[in-house]
Amino acid sequence: MKNKPYSITIKELVERGRNNIPEECISSTHLIYNSPAALAFNSPGAEGFGVKRAGLAIPGSVMLLIGPGCCGRNTTILSEMSGYSDRFFFYIMDETDIVTGRHLTKIPQAVKEVCEALDTLPTVVMICMTCVDALLGTDMERVCRKAAMYVGIPVVPCYMYALTREGRKPPMVAVRQAVYSLLEKREKQASMVNILGYFSPLMNECEIYPLLRQMGIKKINELSRCKTIEEYKSMAAANFNLILHPESRLAAQDLQEKLGIPSIELTRMYQIDKIQKQYYILAKTLGTVIDDSIYAAEARNAVTKFVQSHKNVIFAVGEMMNGNSFELALALVRYGLCVAEIYSNLGTEDYVFLKQLAALSPNTRVFSNLSPSMLYYEDTGNRIHVTVGKDAAYYHPHAVHVLWTEEEQPFGYAGVTKLFKKLQEALDTEGGDLQ
Amino acid sequence: MKGLWKYISPFAPDQSGACSVFYGLGGIVVIVDAGGCAGNVCGFDEPRWFGKKSAIFSAGLRDMDAILGRDTLLVEKLCAAAADTNAMFAVFVGTPVPAVIGTDYQALRRMAEKKLRLPVMTVDTTGMNLYDVGIEKAYLELFRTFAAASGPIQPETVGVIGATPLDMTCLEDPLHIENMLIGQGWSRVLIYGRNGLSNIQQAGAVAKNLVIAPAGMAAAVYLEKKFGTPYTTAYPVLKKNWVCDFTGKKILIVHQQILANALRQQLLEAGASAVTVASWFMLNVALKEPYDIALREEEDFIQLADNQTYDIVIGDGLFRKALKHFMGMYLELPHFAVSGRM
Repeated sequence: MKNKPYSITIKELVERGRNNIPEECISSTHLIYNSPAALAFNSPGAEGFGVKRAGLAIPGSVMLLIGPGCCGRNTTILSEMSGYSDRFFFYIMDETDIVTGRHLTKIPQAVKEVCEALDTLPTVVMICMTCVDALLGTDMERVCRKAAMYVGIPVVPCYMYALTREGRKPPMVAVRQAVYSLLEKREKQASMVNILGYFSPLMNECEIYPLLRQMGIKKINELSRCKTIEEYKSMAAANFNLILHPESRLAAQDLQEKLGIPSIELTRMYQIDKIQKQYYILAKTLGTVIDDSIYAAEARNAVTKFVQSHKNVIFAVGEMMNGNSFELALALVRYGLCVAEIYSNLGTEDYVFLKQLAALSPNTRVFSNLSPSMLYYEDTGNRIHVTVGKDAAYYHPHAVHVLWTEEEQPFGYAGVTKLFKKLQEALDTEGGDLQ
Repeated sequence: MKGLWKYISPFAPDQSGACSVFYGLGGIVVIVDAGGCAGNVCGFDEPRWFGKKSAIFSAGLRDMDAILGRDTLLVEKLCAAAADTNAMFAVFVGTPVPAVIGTDYQALRRMAEKKLRLPVMTVDTTGMNLYDVGIEKAYLELFRTFAAASGPIQPETVGVIGATPLDMTCLEDPLHIENMLIGQGWSRVLIYGRNGLSNIQQAGAVAKNLVIAPAGMAAAVYLEKKFGTPYTTAYPVLKKNWVCDFTGKKILIVHQQILANALRQQLLEAGASAVTVASWFMLNVALKEPYDIALREEEDFIQLADNQTYDIVIGDGLFRKALKHFMGMYLELPHFAVSGRM
């Protein structure tokens, strides 16, 4: 079909089943369209946390990128961000390096020169490797050990292997393993927990903090809130890890094997009843009870207020936002709102939401952000009133937007409350006569 | 250490240069990468990306595609995309992945042409060269494929080579150049890269070519050999409003050569005692003064300029970070291929 974006209804997707996802929705079967909407997916370094920025999560760390010049190109943006200037260094590979592998023998000296160029010795040097070393089969663990012995500080490999994006260990999974790899066994503190998942902190008003305290937790660690290397290292004393993002599962598994820290996983959701259920299961697992009624009520009030005043608005939900687009669409539909379009990569794990959506909103259309046919997506006028997600905003420039891409991570009831307050505010101020 | 860059971030690579030449010409551009290279091209090195849609796609290579060399799958993906698109041509642009696995571009081109029934080009960029190398290769490939002798020479038509955002001071420069050339008496100005493939196809009939960046020189030489078209070099619309007395000053300019030469001329006319051009990018011998300097490493620049040799250094703001000991005046002259800023 020429000059038309591919799309499919939720009903059709569910009828086809999870084992028969259309090729247009499977990114490995077609060329990838880097629309401004999908850019962050294909080039995570372009915004948010990609491997390079995430790799610098350890306090006092610096990064040496080993690769062709093109791999470090977008680092110019990062270098200009507060907290990242003077933390990126580059060893630019040429053809001779690739053919002879001579760059590997130069890494220890390069790390030394990086350390000498800094006013204070870094706590760790992250060595960022690219597709080139992936294809060469470089044993970077060994190279890093050698460099660490040479300079006397930890040197840790950090794999930016875009080729493995859909593999068992994609780059954002591997970098999460890397940033926790320096933790060493410490005496356990029963009332300490680590929150794993994000490279920026949860929103301060998130109920998870008081709820964990109700469960007897006194110290809650987040990597992004660690100011010093000692604070970072103290994470090794945690009694358990709370995984809030599935890409942290392997890191948590490493911590279980190496330090004996078990983990529990929670999912970011926008359906209040599901959030509640999840917290109750957590409390039960820990052998306690919690009272989350205030937080749940606050979220319900925000939703009710919005639905009462804007029940007829039509949503488009994208994936460039803090949430799963299908879960958020399901939440909106369950609250009585209308979602006309969803822009997202589709995975088999999304079917749990799709099945429920099919019953409530079968005609919602799903577009694959990465499909080349999205080149022809045109805003059809006034059909979409509100967008959630940066990609959705790109497709509907004239709608009211809530980008929902803030670095401070929304979670739980507080996430729901904040989202609906933002939607309310956006529609009240920019929505005109939309009701 | 050779290869180690401590202060300056990497410059736009050759694949970005190639893509900037093909941008908006009406073809399908396939960057043969895993995703990150295409992301850098579109999100960082192509300022037109956010204002004008163009069919630039990533091949979306995965590890097994690279290990098994699945070119057939890549061609199938291209054909599927072409079925949704009214493309005039297709082009594969290389990155480090095909460079490492030794992709046979000629075979890839033949396979794709056979299935697509469209002209297919390939540019063997590697991600290890700088943007100007990619621009040079892309122009040559375009002119070889599409420029044909299209009737008699049109004496009042001039062509402009090298007008990509990576080498210009602002996106409006092509328009300014066009207006200036019309003001000089030319009735038609063909800026290669605008107006789809049409301008490229008419390249054999222009009376003269104007080259505004050294990356366009090889194409100009090719057109001269093929069609006898003469060329000149100039960056005719450079206007800087620095409030500064250049009299008697020793000045270093770091930028693309033709623009830097134009600026040198202005500064010498303003009383500068000596102006040196230095560049990591192409320094064409015919356009070079004997004392101009080709830079290779970051350290070369530090040794050249991080002292009191020059009173004034003119270059992209990004270079300033490397000059910890330079006490003179630094005047910023943005270079998109360096900082991604105009």
